[in-house]
Amino acid sequence: MTSLLFKCLVSIFAVFFLATTVNANDVIKPIAAVDENSSQWQQTLKTARGQSVYFYAWGGSKAVNDYIRWATREIAQQYRIRLIHVKVTDPSEPVSRLKAENGRTSAIDLMWVNGENFAYLKQQGFLLGNLWTTIPNTAFLAVDKLPITVDFGEPMDGFEVPWGIGQFNLIAEEAVYPQPQLSAKSLLDIAKKNPNTVTYPRPPEFHGTTFLKQLLVDLTEADPRLYQLASQQAKEQLLPALWQYLDQLHPLLWQQGQAFPSSAAEQFLLYQQQNLSMAVSFNPNQWLKEKSAKQISKSSVRRYFTDGAITNSHNLAIPKSAPSPDAAKIVINFMLSEKAQQEKFTGVWGDPSVITALFDEKATMPAHPELHSSWHVLIEETWQQRYGG
Amino acid sequence: MAATIRRIVQIVPLARIRQIALASGWLLVSLISLLPILGIVVGLWPSEQITFADVERLLAYQGLSVSVFMTLFSAIFSTLISLYIAFMVYSQYHLSRRLQSFEKYLAPLLSLPHLAIALGLVFLFSDGGLFFVDSGLPRKGLSTLIIAIVIKEVPFFLLIFSAIGRQLPIKYWLLQGKALGYQDYRCWWFLVFPPLLKQSRLALLAATAYTLSVVDMSLLVGPNIPELFAVSVYRWQSSFAAGDQVLAFWSNALLLILLAVSVFILYAHEKLASIGCKALATKGSRFHIGKINPVFKAWLPMLGLLIAMMVVVFTLWSFGLNWHSSWHSDNFAFTQLSTRLWQDEWLFFALPLQNSLLIGLLAGLLGVAFALLALELQRQKGKYWPDYYWLLAIILPQLSMVLGWQIMHIWSQGGYHSGWIVLSHLPFTFAYAYLVLKGPFQSVEPDYELLAASFGYSPWQRWWQVRFRLLLPAIFMAFAIAFSVSIAQYIPTLMMGAGRVTTITTEAVAIGTGSQQDLIALYVLLQSILPFMAFFVAALLARRFRGSVAGNSMGGGSIG
Repeated sequence: MTSLLFKCLVSIFAVFFLATTVNANDVIKPIAAVDENSSQWQQTLKTARGQSVYFYAWGGSKAVNDYIRWATREIAQQYRIRLIHVKVTDPSEPVSRLKAENGRTSAIDLMWVNGENFAYLKQQGFLLGNLWTTIPNTAFLAVDKLPITVDFGEPMDGFEVPWGIGQFNLIAEEAVYPQPQLSAKSLLDIAKKNPNTVTYPRPPEFHGTTFLKQLLVDLTEADPRLYQLASQQAKEQLLPALWQYLDQLHPLLWQQGQAFPSSAAEQFLLYQQQNLSMAVSFNPNQWLKEKSAKQISKSSVRRYFTDGAITNSHNLAIPKSAPSPDAAKIVINFMLSEKAQQEKFTGVWGDPSVITALFDEKATMPAHPELHSSWHVLIEETWQQRYGG
Repeated sequence: MAATIRRIVQIVPLARIRQIALASGWLLVSLISLLPILGIVVGLWPSEQITFADVERLLAYQGLSVSVFMTLFSAIFSTLISLYIAFMVYSQYHLSRRLQSFEKYLAPLLSLPHLAIALGLVFLFSDGGLFFVDSGLPRKGLSTLIIAIVIKEVPFFLLIFSAIGRQLPIKYWLLQGKALGYQDYRCWWFLVFPPLLKQSRLALLAATAYTLSVVDMSLLVGPNIPELFAVSVYRWQSSFAAGDQVLAFWSNALLLILLAVSVFILYAHEKLASIGCKALATKGSRFHIGKINPVFKAWLPMLGLLIAMMVVVFTLWSFGLNWHSSWHSDNFAFTQLSTRLWQDEWLFFALPLQNSLLIGLLAGLLGVAFALLALELQRQKGKYWPDYYWLLAIILPQLSMVLGWQIMHIWSQGGYHSGWIVLSHLPFTFAYAYLVLKGPFQSVEPDYELLAASFGYSPWQRWWQVRFRLLLPAIFMAFAIAFSVSIAQYIPTLMMGAGRVTTITTEAVAIGTGSQQDLIALYVLLQSILPFMAFFVAALLARRFRGSVAGNSMGGGSIG
């Protein structure tokens, strides 16, 4: 469902990203952000005192909710700002509200966003710009180590600030998935040996589409054309491999591929019930956290595809018409602080840090860049045509 | 002379006041009932260029026809099946004096939210379920969805029947039928079913509209190759990728057509059923539907057991039991359970629970009051408007309608407080109160009021002391339903309140999109507490007052 609105910047991004991951000694381009001690930031702190920040964020994860509760206490103590978590079921809810408000004073001060929602909001001019230059802690973002300047092909351009990292991985039973890495072929073998235990969320659910992208990357040996606007020729040459593969895989899936989980959360519940041998996740440390909370079996492990885990960021943005933009900036600044990023990683959530000081290669898996967004749309549409009806 | 003049002076303003009261009554009622139309027009007003070429895009969507057919089928089928089951159960209970006050047993059955029933069902009975009973029920499929909906709708219909039944001289009819030589069950079908069906038409419409547009349940237990239509509509509506908003517009239009089609089917069914009953009755033909009737006596206890099992499972989950807390191993001990989650969350759910209670009380009371007002105004006019008009809030696609309200609310710049939330719940509580009250209201025996008038009661006294009193059992039921409808509202609460006012449902629904089963269970239980209390209290109160039953000596309702 990712939009055609995206411009073809992913190729540049992919090259940039691959280059930087290969050679970490490249010159780091410092981000010119305002200084903590500058009068400008002190002024922001002063005006924001006593304000409330309504933070629209998905409320389905206890780990994330607990983390936001922790941040709320910290922010109240340090800055006298009230952070209020508006728990939404779908990240599109604030987008729909901003569209309805159409520039009038918003009910939203801060939102958790990425992907097509960000692209839409940026294009419509609903977002406050220059976040990277006006928030001090953005200077410490690990832009040289992580793909966090472009959001699904849409350059952030200061309209959103990365908050954490998503990396596609499987949470799986060790006995069934003995190898640390996974290929399309090994997955098919596993499905043959253990029919009815493998599945993926029904595209266009985001995890489901990413699962298909990982398979496509593996089946085409990461063809460079996947990171460019999909041409007719590339489409005809690359996609059939995926469909042939799925034709083989689907009869072996859970419910013989006649039904799919609606979401990653639902698949996770099925995994918990031991109906499935694997679940999918974008949080590289979810398996550890769930294991320590005794939510999944002790024999659960994390698995990722051989070409690396498709990696993206989840981000924070402020609407242009937010009533308390200064306070929202302070919240973002806090969220990027070492303390907050540390707590996010080591606490209940386990979401990897996006700042250089805490960047830890062990916390993340080998990263693989996102495909060009045109492939995203193509995969979803063709999947619907072939298997969805 | 002076006295006469004084009287005339008094009378003129009185008539005036009456006129003003009537006019403002109509104004209020039409405002509330027009809100849904206003909402859908503003909400669906296209913000992008809409062309008919996009209709082709919608029609070309793979699996659309199957999806539309499945959706329509599940909506109509589950409603009618629930209707017939509820009718048979009702007839069984009505026959037995001891079990007549079955309403209070409905309270627990009615108070679990739809999604919780679906969740409970799959976790109890599907493959890998807690009790390892492989019932052959697919984890996701049309049959599971229909069963979950039937479980939820049957008690709802029973409640409606009970409200209607208190105003109908059912015993008298049965006696007459018996005198003519019909067996009990035939009397039920020939004499009781047609009027009961006619009076519960609104409830049928509401149930069908609900099933047509339900998203959360469809996502959890519905089939998804292809997915149900409401899910597709929701996906397009919440997507801002190019072209999806246009698809959302046309799919909403199609959804409206589906709603119209199902209204038509329900009307046709009602006509056919009464013709059929009449034909069978006059032909005196044999049919054996009554033979299986006793089975339905067991329905409520069975359902009660099922719900109790679900509640037990949810409770155990909320205390930390799951598939990995050595349930499978021998050393399982109840000491492993802990109240940690309840303690953790207590601070956070107390306020939402209180908000829910206050909003529900206010929206419920206002809804019932407006429904009575609408009915009374129509009675005075001597003409009742079409049912679907009053039920628009339930029938129209909720997301688009509330989006329209949200846009108007933003125009008004009225801030975000619970008053707006009450207002946004009002069309729903009003519609549900109306659907419960209409049947009983219309069948209040006018003789009583005539009698009261002959004793010199003023119109107001007659209304308040006779009609209102006679309607009390139905009013309690209407309030309980309206209250629980208000508690269950997620979309209006979030969209109008903008997160300023959290209710137990805004919390529960958000939690429900995740995978933390202990927390999901805890919020399911919390969400059920308030409706449970409302239904339970309403059932107890309803027993204390019995409705108006014509042929009074025959109609021994349950007298508390």
